[in-house]
Amino acid sequence: MQADGRVALHNVTVRYGRRVALEAVSGEFSAGSLTAVVGANGAGKSTLLAAIAGAVRLAGGTVNCAAHRRLAYLPQLASIDRDYPLTVAELIALGGWRQFGAFRSPGAALRARAVVAAETVGLAGRLRQPIAGISVGELQRALFARLALQDAAVILLDEPFAAIDAQTVPVLLDQVTRWNREGRTVIAVMHDLDLVQARFPATLVLARRCLAWGPTEVALPAIAM
Amino acid sequence: MSFHTLIVEPFATLAFMRTALVACLALALMNGAVGTLLVLRRMSLDGEVLGHAVMPGAAVGFLYAGPSPFWLSLGGLASGLAVAALGGLITHRGARRDAGLIAFYLAALSLGVVLVAWRGSNVDVMRVLFGTVLAIDRRALLQIATASSVIMLVIAALYRPLAVGAFDPAFLRAVGMRVPYGAAFSALVVLALVASFQAFGTLLAVGPMLLPAAAARCWGLGAAGSIALATGFGIAASVAGLLLSYHVNLPSGPAIVLAAGLLFGISLAVANALPRLAPMIWRDA
Repeated sequence: MQADGRVALHNVTVRYGRRVALEAVSGEFSAGSLTAVVGANGAGKSTLLAAIAGAVRLAGGTVNCAAHRRLAYLPQLASIDRDYPLTVAELIALGGWRQFGAFRSPGAALRARAVVAAETVGLAGRLRQPIAGISVGELQRALFARLALQDAAVILLDEPFAAIDAQTVPVLLDQVTRWNREGRTVIAVMHDLDLVQARFPATLVLARRCLAWGPTEVALPAIAM
Repeated sequence: MSFHTLIVEPFATLAFMRTALVACLALALMNGAVGTLLVLRRMSLDGEVLGHAVMPGAAVGFLYAGPSPFWLSLGGLASGLAVAALGGLITHRGARRDAGLIAFYLAALSLGVVLVAWRGSNVDVMRVLFGTVLAIDRRALLQIATASSVIMLVIAALYRPLAVGAFDPAFLRAVGMRVPYGAAFSALVVLALVASFQAFGTLLAVGPMLLPAAAARCWGLGAAGSIALATGFGIAASVAGLLLSYHVNLPSGPAIVLAAGLLFGISLAVANALPRLAPMIWRDA
């Protein structure tokens, strides 16, 4: 569906102060691909997503992403203030931000899409709840529904299943697979290697630099070395 | 004592009470929105620090032109904005933010007091520290009303990005809103504090901004509802504080802040006493 979902990296390097977080990573996520990014703690996985999203400054190299205006980025849960007085429905509707922008409110059509997105992730009964009153898993479902509304060509997920309950993981995984079938490019930082093996066709193994990148059955063994 | 002598008479007979009331109402309108956003953005400490950052500049204004509201405000605005910018730098450098802010706050406060005491009297020092609600003249009132109107218009225009940026700034950046809304909001806070400076002084200016907002946040309303309730609390505290100062002969600025503090205490107690009831009443609407 999207021809512009390609993300090409050329010698991408990121430094935090003197520490090199990511060094000379090159390669390409083809349009419509579904890739897991794996590696030890501090391997630069989150940094890679932030670099693609344009959230950190590159010390060198280039990220080439034609769809940068249709890119959705879900950082780790910790960055959201859960005490904020917002309902689940409002949180999901924010996914349509680019349609309503800073100065208008979401219209009826968008609200209806928000309800559908909530049903898809099993949150139909939770729409009026404040986000302070739902579980971590439910919050992640809501954030996935918000992502669905963003209609992005490239979707970046940073450890989407970390600290998520066992009932929620399959629901979210199905959503990831659905996005992939719709032709969207999905790049996810993952810890659970069994899940990667079962559900992700491609894998990128990072240890500050790129150790292996390709079909999961070929690339994944690199992490053990 | 009738309702009339208790509540209407002080304002009906005394012009300075009326001016003070109008000034406090104008400040309460703006403080409801600014204070609520400040609390939602978890920037209460920043607000406190910026309140004192106004002080050295206001003191320089005082040295230059005596207790003129215009020069006090201009100086206060300059030093407030300078510290807001420096505070932004501190965050970006990743230094110990709270310690840095407190250092600014203490240094700014002391510098201001030293400057005012150098040329002025103890009365002048008390004025800049605690304000003079009852000595607001028409010109100062106009200044306050103008600042309050400008702040409310800007917040109305920027409300959505400010509100979203408060709980998920990464999302705002991700959807392409790269305007530094945080910096714009800090500037609004400084402007609001400068507008409150003459009425409440550098020590109390943050009170009418934070306390009604913190009280309103206890009731589990949405962002817009919290702003409305905070504004209502601010107005109630202003009226109650002014009447209290009139009838019991208390200093009026502290009386207003005390009334706001009482509202916060009551809200906190009630919200804690009804932990199950409050969400059922408010959140299911």
